[in-house]
Amino acid sequence: MKEEVQQVQLNLPATADYVDIVRLNLYGIASKMGFSYEDIEDMKVAVSEACNNSVLYAYNHEDGMVEVTFGIHPEELVITVKDNGESFDSYKGDEAATLHDKELGEAQIGGLGFYLMQALMDEVSVINEAGKGTKVVLTRKLTRSEERV
Amino acid sequence: MNTNKNEKFSATTEMDNGTCTVFLQGELDLSVAPEFRQIMEPLVENSEQDLVLNLKHLKYIDSTGIGILLSILKVRHGMNAQFYVREVPAQIQKLFDMTGIAKFFASQENSQ
Repeated sequence: MKEEVQQVQLNLPATADYVDIVRLNLYGIASKMGFSYEDIEDMKVAVSEACNNSVLYAYNHEDGMVEVTFGIHPEELVITVKDNGESFDSYKGDEAATLHDKELGEAQIGGLGFYLMQALMDEVSVINEAGKGTKVVLTRKLTRSEERV
Repeated sequence: MNTNKNEKFSATTEMDNGTCTVFLQGELDLSVAPEFRQIMEPLVENSEQDLVLNLKHLKYIDSTGIGILLSILKVRHGMNAQFYVREVPAQIQKLFDMTGIAKFFASQENSQ
């Protein structure tokens, strides 16, 4: 079967003020594709966390851009968040982590963002090349409407 | 569906009988984290009052926002002062459960 893919691309300054623009576009695209409200909420969180990482770590407080691509497939939405900054190793350093087995005193927030991405999407990959930036690919499969509650 | 202006973050504070309630609105994300920290700081440090966050109109929270709640929990716990969240929307409760911060709120509720 030939798979038709359409793409929508956003180029945004890597600052916190533009992450909500990514969420607004995600909302439009995902609802057009037929994702449920809850699916869209999940994806909003995952995509924002990927953007937050670029905003916080990619450019070391210097100006830079984040490129967000929505790959619209017949059966899934593939969202790529890419920066051209110094590759941060925050993904390596703090593996996906939760607070479940922690006491309040030792609870740390590091790793929660990555954990949320993994928990809320069907597939997550992080490609991190020294000096070439970081690319996070988030995939969510479209549940057929007849399967939706 | 409200995807628009009304999602701008705001916080309204109400004092009543030894309880300080902060009503959050809109989206609590990285961009408003400094503002939220600044609003909360003097309230968190006042151990004379119970502190309540009402999340009924909170549309969205990210890991930065959850991180701030965690640091508030730690400070309040250290001062032996109460801190509760109320009227948590389902989508946000789901994130509290997934990340594990929910149990810290729960134990605070029980000690009431």
